Amino acid sequence: MIAGIDIGGTHTDAVLVDNGRIVAKSKIPTLHEDLVKTVQRSLTNLTEKKKAGGVTRITLSTTLATNALVEGALETAGVLVCSGPGIDPLKYSIGPAFHLVGGSVDHRGRETEPVDTRELDRAASECREKGVRVFACVAKFSPRNPAHELLLSRRLAPHADFITEGHRLSGMPGFGRRIATAYYNAAVWRLFNRFADAASSTAAALGIGPDIHILKADGGTMPLSESRILPVLSILSGPAASIMGIQALFPVNRDAVCIDIGGTTSDIFFLADGVPLFERGGIALDGRNTLVPSLFSKSIGVGGDSHVRMESGRVTVGPRRLGPAMATGDKAPTLTDALNVSGRAAYGDVSRSQGGIGLLAKQHGADPGRLADEAVSFAANAVAREVERLVAAINERPVYTVRELLHERRLVPERLLLMGGPADCLAKPLGAALGIEAGIPEHFDVANAIGAALTKPTRCIELFADTAIGIMSVPALGVRKAVPAGYTESDAERDAARLLLDRLKTQGVGLGGVEVETTYKSTFSMVEGFSTVGRNIRIRCQVKPGLLYDLVENKKE
Amino acid sequence: MICAARTTGIVFFPAFDWAISPTHPEREERLLYTYDQLAEEGIFDIDGITEAKPDVVGKEDIERVHFLFADFDRTVTPSHLVACGGAVKAARLVMEKRVEKGAALVRPPGHHAMKSVQGNRGFCAVNNEAVMLEWIRSHYGPIRTAIVDTDCHHGDGTQDIYWYDPDTLYISVHQDGRTLYPGSGFPDEKGGGRGIGKTVNIPLPPGTSEEGFLHALEHTILPILEDYKPDLVINSAGQDNHYTDPITNMRFTAQGYARLTELLNPDIVVLEGGYSIQDALPYVNLGIILALAGTDYSHVREPDYDPDSLREDGETREYIKAVCDTALREYFVPSVPLPEPGRFLEREKRIYYDTDCITEHQKESILACDSCPGVRIIKSRSSSRPLSIGVEIPMKGCERCREEGHRIAGESKKSGRYEKVLLIDRCPQG
Ligand SMILES: [Zn+2]
Ligand SMILES: [Zn+2]
Repeated sequence: MIAGIDIGGTHTDAVLVDNGRIVAKSKIPTLHEDLVKTVQRSLTNLTEKKKAGGVTRITLSTTLATNALVEGALETAGVLVCSGPGIDPLKYSIGPAFHLVGGSVDHRGRETEPVDTRELDRAASECREKGVRVFACVAKFSPRNPAHELLLSRRLAPHADFITEGHRLSGMPGFGRRIATAYYNAAVWRLFNRFADAASSTAAALGIGPDIHILKADGGTMPLSESRILPVLSILSGPAASIMGIQALFPVNRDAVCIDIGGTTSDIFFLADGVPLFERGGIALDGRNTLVPSLFSKSIGVGGDSHVRMESGRVTVGPRRLGPAMATGDKAPTLTDALNVSGRAAYGDVSRSQGGIGLLAKQHGADPGRLADEAVSFAANAVAREVERLVAAINERPVYTVRELLHERRLVPERLLLMGGPADCLAKPLGAALGIEAGIPEHFDVANAIGAALTKPTRCIELFADTAIGIMSVPALGVRKAVPAGYTESDAERDAARLLLDRLKTQGVGLGGVEVETTYKSTFSMVEGFSTVGRNIRIRCQVKPGLLYDLVENKKE
Repeated sequence: MICAARTTGIVFFPAFDWAISPTHPEREERLLYTYDQLAEEGIFDIDGITEAKPDVVGKEDIERVHFLFADFDRTVTPSHLVACGGAVKAARLVMEKRVEKGAALVRPPGHHAMKSVQGNRGFCAVNNEAVMLEWIRSHYGPIRTAIVDTDCHHGDGTQDIYWYDPDTLYISVHQDGRTLYPGSGFPDEKGGGRGIGKTVNIPLPPGTSEEGFLHALEHTILPILEDYKPDLVINSAGQDNHYTDPITNMRFTAQGYARLTELLNPDIVVLEGGYSIQDALPYVNLGIILALAGTDYSHVREPDYDPDSLREDGETREYIKAVCDTALREYFVPSVPLPEPGRFLEREKRIYYDTDCITEHQKESILACDSCPGVRIIKSRSSSRPLSIGVEIPMKGCERCREEGHRIAGESKKSGRYEKVLLIDRCPQG
């Protein structure tokens, strides 16, 4: 049996899956001050009648790190940065202990200026005086050559409890993103580890095996051991839980748009040939872009609790939220009230909805039924226009080869998948506004927990080889070694896959069903004068994301 | 988050799968390190800077500009259609007012491609800027435009295309033609017909650095622009004036290019040459984009940047001042009078297509007219093709010239003397 627990903003959902069947569900309010207790209660609810010992794997989707970041409840992390020429590095200043240290490495990983160790020591002692114990060390182009980050890290080590080196987060480019990501990682490290300790002892007390996973925003999981050093990868995993859940509950293999309709907002996702689309670069948090890989998801301020009002003679819905529907005792009419009045839903006290919409209609000399219909179609159209805008933006994503540009694959959603409270009653209007047939999966009330339970572990790495310099490196794994001049793209592809699998093995991830795929490869001949001096090889490979298995009650469309 | 003062759309298209030949300077790797630098700097994370995908232009967009006497499919590859399309996309974003500034960092370049195309020359087959500008004009009317070419090589192709056009001011600042390909671009080349004075050449001596380029900008280019009052300014932003460029002899820098961009303040920037792909392009492109978007570029410099060691000597500085003064004078008082209406102005040209090893012999004539720029006729024969003729009726062509153009094209066809008879009619009736 495997368990999935999605700790959400309001509710914590949990499911227990046995041989592809959902055997238990739980929904309880999230106790923000005590997430461990929330996990504990969910687990107890799930395993009431069964032996908890039968649970072999738990996956948690937790808001712990996200909340800490958004609420600013962070430990002071010292940030030491080597920049070199480019955009003014002070623009990336983050946290109360941000220090620039001289030193620079260029785009090929060549040192162009050594680290200024006097500046480094000064920064380190200032941090020490402030009592800083966790650090982020970040250098521009560190994935090409991590030497400067390693030097910073070595000097700080005697006085540090934890250090994040930028190149270990990702091999992807983005200096500003790397700084923010490393800072966040260091600043939530202690908090997250306390949670991880408590979660493992809770599981142990219930007799559940050690296989605890944390859901990531990229639609994969990581073992608890890895989340202890990369806690930042746990942020904003909620949308990933939804999209993995919807894939489990309603598998499609075509292009699709998925909409999770909530109270205040609705989240929009896309599937290309049934595979979730990724965010370019990485997720944004608290106004800063990061290198945290993520599935593509966008929020729009239209949901069941969105306020229905008249603005210059026209019905408008959202984006302000005024509270729950009048049907459940609130003062202003919402989209849910409009759905009630238009006869599409019968949620709570329908007569109160009629009162509220009726009053609004009277004030503006309109017919209540028509006003409700207009509100529903306004909301559906707002969501549909946003979907269309997003599809256009996705199809405008740049490519860098003539071949890709001339034979581009465009995203054309042919299926609409809906989940969330008002999904049932919005299916028709939304389907009509988008001109696509809508489908609603069963069990969508706990889709997030199902997604968490069934998600596979993933990991993505980048390999760079520069045969002119004679170096191959996989920054995220800390691998850097000499290669001969004859090192080729297929050598690199093979090495990357092997290193990735080795890493999973040492982390104790079961390799059954694990498939490594190359998602990007390129080789450039490097020419100096008129002769070729080497090859510049770039490989990105990943454990193919997906579900551990399909739910038995579903058949593929 | 960093915010741009001006919204800027960047069409970055490095054509990672296209080269003239494996070790040619115009090869796959050319914008690789620029891509690495821009990606590491997070240029597209700046609020207000957006990345866009190139359009792909069609045959008609090329044939609106060029007399393509060579075989179209063999000369114009898909990568040319994409490079032109990249420029067109940048222009479209600006013209549709979706952004304030547009930049096309695309390859291959285009400023050596002339009106008549018999093959590839100077790494160019079709003129990206001209295809872009005429696309704009075909959609938005005859917009008064200045093209400022800051590539190290004289943009003889762009100069040739706009030689007679009073609505296009072409200013080129480049390394003196006596010391560099293509060997042209002297102050006495200043346009013909009604386009007299609307071509300005500023040949700078080898070794020109920041001070010299900025002197040319501030004392010649900007005053001319001030006088001409274009509605659109395009910068052909070649980056081969850089002190590390392997095929030129100038000493310009990333800081200098950024400052030049800031002062020139063009609406659209189109990348031309630049072959110091590791040591210059990553920094120069970064500087140009930041400056264009009105963002701080003060920390953008080459790792070994040392302005003192790059500075011009006194003699060079004096020479530069003199050249700039001459160019300014030639613009304001062209020493050649306007042509008499009804006369044919004639030019004979021999053009060498170095990339394809083809020589073209060309006889060009323009029917001088007092109410329009006049019909342009090019008779061309090359070492690989027989005689062809191209007839162009300009955008503001008068009724008489239009009829004359059609008559010449029709008679040429009837005569059977030409392999190809090409007609560009930019003011079709109806
Ligand atoms: Zn050039
Ligand atoms: Zn005329």
